[in-house]
Amino acid sequence: MNWQALPPELSNASEALPTLVAEMERKVPYAAALLCRNGGLQVQVRDREQSVTEIAPSQGLVLSAWNGAYFEEMASSDLSREHMFGLARGFMGTVRARLRGAVRPVASDGSIDPGQAQRAHYATACVEDPTALSAKEKLDLCLDLQTRARKLDPRIVNVQVRYAETLESKAFVNRARQLSQNVLRLRLTVMVFVSDGQQLQYDWVGKDASGGLEAIRLSDDDLRRVCESAVAMLGAKKVPPGMYDVICCPDVSGVIAHEAFGHGVELDMFLKDRARSEQYLGKPIASPLVDILDDPSYLGGHGTYFFDDEGQISSPTYIIRHGVFERGLSDLYSAHRLRVPRSANGRRESFERKVYVRMSNTFFGRGKTPVSEMIESVERGVYLEHSSSGMEDPKGWGMQVTSQYGVEILNGKLTGRRFAPIGITGYVPDILQSVSAVGDDFKLSGGTCGKGHKEWVPVSSGGPHLKLKARLG
Amino acid sequence: MLQQVIDALRRQEGVHDWCARHVEKRSTQYYVIGARPESRRVATSERVVVTVMNDHAPAAGGPELVRGEADVTVLPSDLLRLADKLSQAVFMARLTDNPRYGLPGPLRHPVVELADPEMQERPQEVAERLVGQLTRSLAAEKNVRLSSAEVFVEESHVHTQNSRGVDSHQVGTHLLFDWVLLAAGDADEMESHVAFERRRAADLDVPALAQRYAEHARDALAAGTPKTGTFPVVVSDEALDELVVSEGNSPLILRSSAQLKYQQISPWEVGQSIFTQTPSGDAFTLYANALLPFGTRSGSLDGEGLPGQRLSIVENGVLTRFWATQRYAEYLGVPPTGAFGNLELPAGMHSFASLLEGAGPLYHIVAFSAMSPDPLTGDFVGEIRLGYELHNGQARPIRGGSIGGNLFDVLAAARWSRETAFLGDYAGPRAVRFPQVTVAGA
Repeated sequence: MNWQALPPELSNASEALPTLVAEMERKVPYAAALLCRNGGLQVQVRDREQSVTEIAPSQGLVLSAWNGAYFEEMASSDLSREHMFGLARGFMGTVRARLRGAVRPVASDGSIDPGQAQRAHYATACVEDPTALSAKEKLDLCLDLQTRARKLDPRIVNVQVRYAETLESKAFVNRARQLSQNVLRLRLTVMVFVSDGQQLQYDWVGKDASGGLEAIRLSDDDLRRVCESAVAMLGAKKVPPGMYDVICCPDVSGVIAHEAFGHGVELDMFLKDRARSEQYLGKPIASPLVDILDDPSYLGGHGTYFFDDEGQISSPTYIIRHGVFERGLSDLYSAHRLRVPRSANGRRESFERKVYVRMSNTFFGRGKTPVSEMIESVERGVYLEHSSSGMEDPKGWGMQVTSQYGVEILNGKLTGRRFAPIGITGYVPDILQSVSAVGDDFKLSGGTCGKGHKEWVPVSSGGPHLKLKARLG
Repeated sequence: MLQQVIDALRRQEGVHDWCARHVEKRSTQYYVIGARPESRRVATSERVVVTVMNDHAPAAGGPELVRGEADVTVLPSDLLRLADKLSQAVFMARLTDNPRYGLPGPLRHPVVELADPEMQERPQEVAERLVGQLTRSLAAEKNVRLSSAEVFVEESHVHTQNSRGVDSHQVGTHLLFDWVLLAAGDADEMESHVAFERRRAADLDVPALAQRYAEHARDALAAGTPKTGTFPVVVSDEALDELVVSEGNSPLILRSSAQLKYQQISPWEVGQSIFTQTPSGDAFTLYANALLPFGTRSGSLDGEGLPGQRLSIVENGVLTRFWATQRYAEYLGVPPTGAFGNLELPAGMHSFASLLEGAGPLYHIVAFSAMSPDPLTGDFVGEIRLGYELHNGQARPIRGGSIGGNLFDVLAAARWSRETAFLGDYAGPRAVRFPQVTVAGA
């Protein structure tokens, strides 16, 4: 299978898109069409259970029309040529009727710039192509990991191994651009469940990437560490609530960059008057040690793509540079309304959902301090490991990040005393200002991100270790 | 489309059992920012979700046949290569070796109210009317305005058939109303953000909810930080739904599932207390209710064809049964019950007002930033988006800081309100009081 070429269903349907767009633009000032297909393979192995199955595919067409004031859209899973043209005709009829009717949109906000002319097809680069392996070989890979992990400790009651391979294909057309892309994303996770007869605990290790199998290999050391960590969770205590000096691992740093800060600089939040960050534009908001970037073009990131769902080519955005808030992230609508340059952050969960401003790979820039030096500098504090959740609060800028566990630091040394789970709260600018050291390491972790409680898209976040002050509980 | 898929399944070699669900959806979406539309969308989709089972000799050898299953989704454009798609499903199913299990047969499916005729017939009007109600309600609220709102009015038709004779059609509607309100103070603004999910528009009292959330936004302007320590905590309304249902990932739901019991992850046993400590609160009883009229997790049948039921899961703190799909019911040797459905708790004995009584300090939480107890352990930590600190009946708004603990520990000592609420996937007391919860504040 040549997964790097556009799937035949999309390739065939995409031939009609330039004509569809041209027909729609006879009625409205700007139109665009997007074809999307997501799908893949998932293998799961647990004690006494195995499955190899398709990741439920989603496929459809979105027709977008700028009516002079806002975007209207019509979307359908039927990609037959006849249906697509019928859909466009019906859609234009609805839009025109609304323009003529009582519910007339407000005065025009001006025309939409379709961007410079461009035709291109992109595909994820990988060394070890996962599609070269059969489903049986992928199942064997998971069975092998499960067997190896299962033997590591008698307190293990189950081990779950999950391999997921997702291919996201898109074709975008407006009057200037004809773009297509295939993004291949992989995730491999091992989750270890342990019990001492009284309580159950667990921990997990995982790798993810846009790329090939070379990016997600798990070693014996990885398995040993996750089993030891799961067992150590059995002895975890609740952290005494209070303010602490904290060292965040890259995973926790990333959730601070993404959840606590990143959502508040999505420019649709500016349009809705929901962003406290607006007051800080061009001003210091963080310690001068802090850089935060969002980069959909980051090679191998789980949130990587070549162009966004509105045809904007991916490139990095410096959100914070040397502690100063430089710019936010935009989609076409927010950039148009706010009259700011676009970034490639217009993304949708599927053809059934609207585009929103969304992050991609969001991270703190690398610093200069060795991690060992950071830990040695803490008299009494906590090393935070493994974020498990986070939630945005763009207006109040309160931070909620939950860490799976933390390890006590006393007099510059990790004591091994474990706290779990740990809630990290505080006021975002206070936390960013409190950053007193930035590690010389760097790591991204992938996952999916929602807007509020819905609209899930693949992302990654991370960066280096950070030393900061935060309230734990 | 469904018949084409079923005909192909019957022809396909290696298909020993199957289940097919034809799903058609139409979603009408309306978005506003302030007083102006941001977007209007209509999305339609059609698919058949197929589960294929294959029986084969195990890879490790042995006399007993084993079973593998695989899901594939057939999209309209897949019909031209349907045989390939199903053959791929059989290939995947053949790879895996699991103990054999069956599918439900043709059982009687109860009638459950799932669809709002108005949402089916006039989705755009419903969406615009709800936004209009919200806007008008906010006009009466001092210093509060609408930041943004999103309304999704959806209709779905699901036709389920399987190889054992199930053949059932279910029509439902789903409403999502998400809004953000902004309250203006002397030099600052604060927001309250909430999303409601229902099956019927009439189940949302928009004027009353707008009034409540406008008050939340205004109170957030004056909110201070809670104290640090162990205090009584009351959780109510949508915050309570988040704590106990957690969008279906509640440890109450997962630990009572036959699947997690089979996987040796649930420590619960039928006939034993679900609590590790001696219960000191009100008797805790829990129902899994798929028959709740207009419940967002209700259904006359579940995904594989088992009839919806109202089941007692926990009575007086003791597990009465595991809820089970056909597969895990057979594995554990328990009756199949179908999917969990909505979470239902009986009304409590105490008035809501009495739960808030006491010298204090006592914390009443009305909104979390996000509250998802660990689905397996029940441990939780949640930032307080808005709450109130009460001293002798005097309330002071608070935000920031967090509460933390273990869900089973706090439920063992909980007292429940007699006032009840229906919140889409939850029906039960409007509020709960926990005598001792750790608060991390100033």
